[in-house]
Amino acid sequence: MTREEVLNEIKERFSGDILDVFDKSPNRVYIEIKPESLVPVAVHVFRRMKARFNIATGTDVRHGIEILYHFTFEDINLMVSFRVTLPKEKLEIDSLAPHFKAANWIEREINEMLGITFKGHPDMRRLLLPEDWPEGVYPLRCDYEEWDKKAIRDRGL
Amino acid sequence: MSFKLKALLKSPWVFHLSTGSCNNCDIEVLDCLTPRFDIERFGMLLAPSIKHADVLLVTGSCNRKSVKRLKRLYEQAPKPCLVVAIGECSLSRGMFIHSYNCPVPLDKIIPVDVYIPGCPPKPEAIIAGVVKLIEKVRGKTKKAK
Repeated sequence: MTREEVLNEIKERFSGDILDVFDKSPNRVYIEIKPESLVPVAVHVFRRMKARFNIATGTDVRHGIEILYHFTFEDINLMVSFRVTLPKEKLEIDSLAPHFKAANWIEREINEMLGITFKGHPDMRRLLLPEDWPEGVYPLRCDYEEWDKKAIRDRGL
Repeated sequence: MSFKLKALLKSPWVFHLSTGSCNNCDIEVLDCLTPRFDIERFGMLLAPSIKHADVLLVTGSCNRKSVKRLKRLYEQAPKPCLVVAIGECSLSRGMFIHSYNCPVPLDKIIPVDVYIPGCPPKPEAIIAGVVKLIEKVRGKTKKAK
């Protein structure tokens, strides 16, 4: 499968789900998709097209929170990232963890760091934050504020 | 106390603890143990357990989860226990000073005897710091006599 075949297959099959295609470089393509069509796209790319699920990344951007799902086609040296933008009022998306296990931990991490609800995730416990961290405080959001009164933020000078 | 410290100085066994560092300071600490720098010249050996150690080497910025482990280790250490802070992160948390996960610097958690700055400190700096620690404690024992 060449690079053109991969991109054409995604574009033809999911023409109604794709909002934008950004061809950044010979081995990097960003495809913006609708949040509700994430599961069919990801499952098709993973199962049928035999891409490797690399990682997902979440970022707090000004108009919402976006998640990038990175898939790699290793034999042709191509990385396809599916970008999903969620509005701040409704931070919900379907979980990919029931379909492939590699999505389990990163979805738990995105949930505790950015506060996104993954619907259908089998085991949504805390992954990295300590037990005494308060509920509803998300450290990687832009509007995060210091909650710990005991924290020392000067160098003692 | 004086006798214990005197015995300790002959061959201080060190225990190396990383409290969430980037591993660069840890690599420099391991460099000190290699034949090129050979910290065994000063009688120092890496102890496999804190219960056998006299000196606690701490690297890293003390994040919320590792602070509990650090306190537990310090409680288990046989006293007198000397603490050496290695690297900018354990001195003042360096660039992570405003991080949500690093609330308190190391010397506000446990008493620190020697600070070795650098990001990471060179093995020479670590050896110089440890020699200063030995000199400091030796001066203390002389005064106690």
